[in-house]
Amino acid sequence: MSVKYIPVQWNRSKWGYDAVLLLGVGLFLWIFIHIAPGLLNHERPINPPIRNARAYGACAFVMLTIILCIGPLARLDRRFLPLLYNRRHFGVMTAAVALSHAYFVLGWYFSAYQGATRWETVLFANTSYGQALGFPFESLGIFALICLLILAATSHDFWLKFLTPPVWKAIHFLIYPAYAALVGHVALGAFQARGNETLAVIFTGGALLVVGLHIWAALRERTRATPATDWVAMGPASDIPEGRAKIALLPSGDRVAVFRHEGQLSAISNACAHQNGPLGEGRILDCLVTCPWHGFQYDVRTGQSPAPFTEKVPTYRLKLEGDAVFVDPDPNPPGTPVDPVPAPAGTPAQEAPA
Amino acid sequence: MTATAIIALAQGYCVIGVIVALIFLTVGMDRIDEDARGAYAFRPLLIPAILLIWPLVLWRWLREETGAASWQGRHSPPRAAHGVAAALMAVIVVITLATGFTIRQTWPADRAPQLLVAPDGGSEASQ
Amino acid sequence: MKDDPFFVGYLRVPPDLRLFLTATCLALLVGAAGLAYALSLTQDDPGQSRPRFDFGPQTVLGVLELTPSPILHVTQGTDTIPDGQTLMLAGQGKNGAVERAMELEGQLVQATGVLFDRGDLGMLQLNGGNAFRAAEDQSAIPDIPEPESLGRWEITGEICDGKCEAGAMRPGRGIGHRACANLCILGGIPPVFVTTQPIEGEEFLLITGEGDEVLPPSLIDYVGLYVTLEGDVARHGDMLVLTVDTETVELVP
Repeated sequence: MSVKYIPVQWNRSKWGYDAVLLLGVGLFLWIFIHIAPGLLNHERPINPPIRNARAYGACAFVMLTIILCIGPLARLDRRFLPLLYNRRHFGVMTAAVALSHAYFVLGWYFSAYQGATRWETVLFANTSYGQALGFPFESLGIFALICLLILAATSHDFWLKFLTPPVWKAIHFLIYPAYAALVGHVALGAFQARGNETLAVIFTGGALLVVGLHIWAALRERTRATPATDWVAMGPASDIPEGRAKIALLPSGDRVAVFRHEGQLSAISNACAHQNGPLGEGRILDCLVTCPWHGFQYDVRTGQSPAPFTEKVPTYRLKLEGDAVFVDPDPNPPGTPVDPVPAPAGTPAQEAPA
Repeated sequence: MTATAIIALAQGYCVIGVIVALIFLTVGMDRIDEDARGAYAFRPLLIPAILLIWPLVLWRWLREETGAASWQGRHSPPRAAHGVAAALMAVIVVITLATGFTIRQTWPADRAPQLLVAPDGGSEASQ
Repeated sequence: MKDDPFFVGYLRVPPDLRLFLTATCLALLVGAAGLAYALSLTQDDPGQSRPRFDFGPQTVLGVLELTPSPILHVTQGTDTIPDGQTLMLAGQGKNGAVERAMELEGQLVQATGVLFDRGDLGMLQLNGGNAFRAAEDQSAIPDIPEPESLGRWEITGEICDGKCEAGAMRPGRGIGHRACANLCILGGIPPVFVTTQPIEGEEFLLITGEGDEVLPPSLIDYVGLYVTLEGDVARHGDMLVLTVDTETVELVP
C-alpha cells in the first residue's frame, strides 16, 4: 500500500488468523512430542532429536498440504477466501517448521563425522541417485526447503511492488515444485521406512487431495473463460448486477472486469496492483472496487486508489450496442479516467446470485 | 570433494548477497521506491530474501533505474502458467506416489535363513 | 436475491460468514490434533538398545582381531562385561577405530570406553587418548577360540552400522537412518547384518570388509534396505561374522 512500509500491517483478521495458526501448530507438536511417547509406551523411547525431527517434518507436510488446498478451495467456494487472506503468514510459519525439521536432522544424523561439516555430510552421505529405493531423499527435502525459504523471505509487500506482481507470482509458483519435491522426500523416505498403513493413508490422501482440488478448480476455470477478438463482446448489460462485475478473457491473455456502479458501466483490469488478485470477483464498497484477496480499493472510473494510497490499475473503454456490452481489448495506462457508460434503462440492476 | 565445492559456492553466493543487501537497503531502495523513504523498521526483514535472490534484485533494480519496466508488465499475472504448473505438479506427485508404493518393502519376517553349504563341505537343503 | 457475504480483511467479518469461519477454524484445530495423534502413533518401537553411560567407563583386557572392523575377545572383563564376550570397537561419534587398531592386531590390549548394548550385540565406544593400547604384559596372550565355520548361508535382512543399532540411536536402522549408517560405515564403524530370523541363535552378524574398508564398497548402495544375500558365516568367540558374496545381493521385493 502506498503508505510507508512497516514490518507487518496487523489487523483483527490477521491476529485471529495467526492465533488459530499458532494454536494448530502448537497443538500438533505438543501431541506429537509430549503426548505420543506416553501412548506409545516404548520400553526404551525414541531419541528426542529423532522424535522432534519427525514431529516437525510431519507438521510441515500437513501445513504445506493445507496451504496448497486453500487456493483451489477459494476458487471453488468463495467462503474460503478468508483463509487466503493471510496465507503468507501460514507460509512463513511452514518454512520455520520445515527449517526446524532440517535443524534436528542435520544435528543428529549428519554431525559428528570427522573431516566434514554437517552441511557437507548431508551432501555426500548417500549418493545412490541411480536407484529409487534408497534414493537420497534428503536432497529433495533440501530443494523443497530452499523453495519455502525463498517464498517466506519474499512475502513482504515490498517484494510485490519491487518485483512487480507477475514476477512475484512467478517466483511463488515455486510452491508447486516444492510440494512435488516434498512428496518425493516423504515417499522415498518416511513412507518407506515404516510399514504402518496409517502413515500411508494420511500421506497419500493429503497429496491426492491437493492434486484433486487443483484439477477440479482448473476444470471449473476453463469452462468459465470466454476468449474473443477485436472489441470483445461481454454479453448483455443486464447480466451485470449492481456493485458487481463480469470478467472476460481478452485475446492478449489479460482479463478485464466490467462493473456496474450506480447504473453505469466501467471497465478496469481484473488484476489488482497489489498481488494481481481478481478484482472482478470483488465488490463495490463505498463507491470503491474492493479486491476479494486483501481488500485493496480502486475508483472504478479511474482505476486509482483513494488517497493516500497510490495504487493504479489499467482502465478499458466500453461501448454499448443495444443491451450488448463491448470492451476495447487495448488497456489504457493505469489510472486513466474513462467516462462510465450508462446502462440501458429498465434492465435489472439488482444483485444476482453468485 | 564435490560437497565441499557446493558448500563453498553457496557461501560465496551468500557473501555476495550480503554485499548486495547492504548497498540495496541503504542506497538502492530509497532511489526506486518512494514508500520506502523514511521507513526503516521493515528493512531487516528483507535481508534473507536478498541473500537468496540477489541476482533478481539487481536485475529489477537496473530495470527501475533505467526505466525499462513497462506498466503493462505489472498487470499481466501469469495465470495460464498457473494451470501448467499445477498440472505438472499433479503429474509428478501421482508418479511419485505410484513409485513409492511400487518399491515399498515390508520386513520379510517369514524368510528364514537357509544353510546352502554345510561347514564340512556337504550340502543341506535348509535348516 | 440473497447476497453472499463478502470478506474484507480489515473490516469486521460479515455475520453470514462467522459460523462458517468458526467451523473451519475448529475443523483445522481438531484436524491438527487428530493428524498429530494418528501420525505420532505410527512410530515403531525402536527396540532394546541403549548406551550404558549409567555404568560409567568400562576397562577390559582382551585379544584384538580385525575383520578389518576391530573386535575384542574379552579375557578380563568387568561386572557388566563378562569374560569371553566379543565386543565390536569404535571411536567417538561417527569414527571407527580401525586405524588405532591396526598396529594392535593379535595383541593383548587394554580398552576403556562406554558399552553400547542390544542383547546379543555389544560395542565398546573407546575413550580418547590412551584408552586403547597394548597391555603392558604381552608375555602370555590368552588363547581365544579359533574361528569356527558355520557354512554358506542365504540370509535375509538389513545392513546397518553396528554402533547406531547397538544403542547410539533409537531407532538405529531403516531407510530414514540410511544416510547416517552410510556415514558411520564410511567413518569405520563396524557394519552389522540384522537377520529376519536368528542363525544359530544370533540375530546380528558382523560383516567383514575388503582391505581396510570395513564394508565391501559395493554394499553401500544396499545399506538400510531389505536384502537377501549369500555368504559364509563363521563364529568368532560369541559373535557371528559374515563374509558376503557381493554378487548375490538382491533387494527383497
